[in-house]
Amino acid sequence: MSAEPTLQELRALVSEFQPNRGHVLPALHRVQHHCGYVSRDAIEVIARQLNTTPALIYGAVSFYSDFRTTPPAKTTITWCSGPTCRLKGGDRIREAMQHVLEVPLGGTDEAGQCGMSIGQCNGLCTEAPMVWINGEVTGGLTVASAIRLAREVKGS
Amino acid sequence: MNSTLEAIRTRATAAWNDYIHNGRPKVTVVLDTSSLARGAAATLDAIKAEVAARGLGVDVAVAGSWGFNWLEPTLTVRSAAGTRTVLYGNVTAERAPELVQATLIDGRDLPELAIGVVEGSATAEIPLLSDHPYMQGQVRRLMERMGIIDPEKIDHYLAVGGYEGLSKALDLSPEAIIKEMLDSGVGGRGGANFPVGRKWDFLRTATAEPRYLVCNADEGDPGAWVNRTVMEGDPHLIIEGLLIAARATGASEAYIYVRHEYPLAFDRMKTAAAQAREKGLLGKDILGLGWDFEIVVFLGAGSYVCGDETGLMSSIDSYRGMPRIKPPFPAQAGLWNKPTNVNNVESYANAPLILRHGAAWWCNLAPADQPEKGTKMYSLSGQIRQMGVVEIPFGSGTMRSMLEQYGGGMQKGSTLKGFQPGGPLSGVLPAADADLPLKLAPYRERGMFLGGGGLMFFDESTSIVDLVLWMTTFCEDESCGRCTTCHGGSQRAVEILRRIADGGGRETDLDKLEGIVQTLIWSNCQHGQLTPTAIKLALRAFRDELLSVIRDKVDPSHSLPGFIEYVVKNPADAALKEAVAICPTGAFSGEGASTAIEQDRCIKCGACKEVAPGAIEKRDRVIVYDAVEAAGA
Repeated sequence: MSAEPTLQELRALVSEFQPNRGHVLPALHRVQHHCGYVSRDAIEVIARQLNTTPALIYGAVSFYSDFRTTPPAKTTITWCSGPTCRLKGGDRIREAMQHVLEVPLGGTDEAGQCGMSIGQCNGLCTEAPMVWINGEVTGGLTVASAIRLAREVKGS
Repeated sequence: MNSTLEAIRTRATAAWNDYIHNGRPKVTVVLDTSSLARGAAATLDAIKAEVAARGLGVDVAVAGSWGFNWLEPTLTVRSAAGTRTVLYGNVTAERAPELVQATLIDGRDLPELAIGVVEGSATAEIPLLSDHPYMQGQVRRLMERMGIIDPEKIDHYLAVGGYEGLSKALDLSPEAIIKEMLDSGVGGRGGANFPVGRKWDFLRTATAEPRYLVCNADEGDPGAWVNRTVMEGDPHLIIEGLLIAARATGASEAYIYVRHEYPLAFDRMKTAAAQAREKGLLGKDILGLGWDFEIVVFLGAGSYVCGDETGLMSSIDSYRGMPRIKPPFPAQAGLWNKPTNVNNVESYANAPLILRHGAAWWCNLAPADQPEKGTKMYSLSGQIRQMGVVEIPFGSGTMRSMLEQYGGGMQKGSTLKGFQPGGPLSGVLPAADADLPLKLAPYRERGMFLGGGGLMFFDESTSIVDLVLWMTTFCEDESCGRCTTCHGGSQRAVEILRRIADGGGRETDLDKLEGIVQTLIWSNCQHGQLTPTAIKLALRAFRDELLSVIRDKVDPSHSLPGFIEYVVKNPADAALKEAVAICPTGAFSGEGASTAIEQDRCIKCGACKEVAPGAIEKRDRVIVYDAVEAAGA
C-alpha cells in the first residue's frame, strides 16, 4: 500500500481478528505486511478490534524486534548477527556499513533512503558473512565489498 | 485399522507408484531456505526452460534437503527406467544446460558435479551416496524422505509410510500410545531430554478442558537450523506427530509456533496443515471418528525468549512474549491457563516413527542403559569447511568426530580452538574437550548442556573475549526485561567484556564477572539463568587467555579492536589510493609519502589492508597498563 491507509481500511484489514484468541501477533503481522509498519492509528484500531487498550498493543509492538512503528526505508540492509558471520568478520562489516550509511541499527536516514536492522541467524551459514538487502541474501562479503555495497545503497 | 485412512493411503500409494514408474526421467531440485540462498530457484527455472526448449519428456520436481548445505544447489537425476538416480551438487543455473545435455540427452553421468549414486551402481568416478564420507555413521530416520518427496504434497508423504503411525495410534488407547512413547525412551529434543511420554501423560491426566498442544518451532539458537530442515523438508512428520499426541492426551487444538525468520518453513507448515484438513485428517469429525482437532500455524515476530516454553505461550495468548514463573507448569496452567503440552519439533516428529515401527525398533540404536535414544539431527557451522545438517544415533560421536567427518575439518590453514555445543546459552569449551562424547552427562558435569543441535566450531583467529561478548550481547538484547537480575546483570557483563575487548581490562574484572555469574543464575527463567554459562566456562577453560588480555595486554588472536592498529607501511604502493578511498571513516591524512592513518578515527575494520595489502600493515598495539586506572572501580 503506497498511500497511508484510512482508518476504514485499517479496520477492514483486521476485522476477522477476535479478542482472547491469540490474535495479537496475527493482527500486527497483517498490518505490517500491508502497510510496511504499524502506525499509531493501526495500534488504536487493533486495540479496539481486540477489545483491549492501545498501551497493551504498543507493548507487543515494542517487544518484538520485527515490528516497526515508522515506515521502512527504500532499502534496508539487515545485518546477520549470527555466530558464523561474527567469526568471519561480521562485526567489522556492521561497523563499517553503519559508518557509511550513518544510521544506527534499527534506524533509517532522514531521507528514508536507507536503513539498517539487526537480523537473526536462520542457518545460511554457508553464506557467512552475509546481509539481507530488502530480504534478499547477499553473502560471502568482505569488509571492502560491504562498504561498496553500502555506498551503492546510499547513493541509489 | 481405520478404513477411511487406509483408503486415503492406498490411493496415495497408487498415485505415487504411477508417478515413479511412468517411464519418464525425473529431475528433483532441493528447494529450501539454504538452497534458495545459493540460487536453487534459478537452477529450477533453468532446468525447466532447458527441458521445455528441447521438448524433453522429463518430470521436474522439488524436494527437501539432503543436508549437503555447502554444496547447494543440489538435485537428483533419475533415469527413465528408474534404475539409476544420482545426486548432484553446485548445480548453478549456468551449469544446468550442461547437466541436462549429459544426463537427459546423452544418457551419461556428469561426474564433475556428482556427489553420489542414490540408486544404481557406483562408477570409477562416482561412489554410492551411502559410501560418501558425509553419510558414514548417519542414520536417517527424520531425514529419510528428504530429497525424495515433495514437502508440499501430502500424497507423497502418505505414499511412503506417512500417517501409518497415526493409523496404528488409532487402534490404541491413550495409555497404550503413551506407553509406546515411554518405552521408546524418546526425550525432549530441545536439549532437556525430559521423557516425552511423561509430559504427554501429565496432559492426559490433567482435569481441565480444553487442552492444548504446542510445537516449539521457534528455533532461536543462532547456528541451529535442524528444525527448519524438518519443517521445510518433511512437514507432515510434525502434523502426524501432533495428531498422535492429540489422540494420547485428549488435546483439541495445537499451535505450531514458527519463528519469523523462517517464512518458508511457516508456509510449508501451513500448506501441510491445509492439505491434512482437505484429506479429513484435521478439523471436525476426523476420519469419521467423531474426533475434533485443529492445528494453528502461528508466526512469531522476532524474540529469542519465546523459545522458552512459557515465553512462547505468552507470545500466543498475551501481548509480550515474557516467560512466566513456574510453577504452575504448562500441564496445569498453560495457554489461557488451560493444560498445555509443549514439545520441540524433533520431539513431535519422532512420534510417527515410534508408533509406526514400534518402541523397540526406535530405541535399538542405543544400549539399554543409555539415556540418549533414537537419532538426533545436528547442524554444523563456524570456521569449518562443510556446513550442513546430519542425523546420527543420539549419543554417538564427539565434537571432534563431527568436525572431522562431517564438517570436513577446520577451514584452510586453521586449527580448532574451541566449540559451542548448542547455542549461546550452552557455553563454550576448548579444543582439549573436543573428544567428549555427544551425550548429556559430560556436558551437565561441566555446568553446561547439549542444546538443540547447533554445533559451532571456532579457530585460533577468534578471541574468546569477542566470542563471549557476542553471546552475552545476544542474551542481553533478548532479555525480556522482567527481572533486573537478568537484564541488569547481562548489561553489566557486556560493559565489562566490551571494556576488556577495547584494552581496558582490569584484574578485578575476573571477580566481577564471577559475581555476575553467581547472580544471574537466580533469574526467574532459563534465559537469565543460562546467560552466564559462556562467561562461567570462559573463566574456567580459557582463563589463561583472559589473563593475557586483561593483565598482560596481549591478545593471542590478534583480532580484538583495542589490541590492533593499522598503519601505512609503504606509501609508495600503488594501491594506497584505493585504501584511502575505501576507508569508511576518512581516517587517512596527509598525502604521498606522509600519508598516515589517524588512529582515533580508525575503526579497525581492515578494509584498507584488504584492498592494499602491500601498503598497509596490521600490527599489535602496545597498551601501557595503567595501574592507577586499573585500581579504579
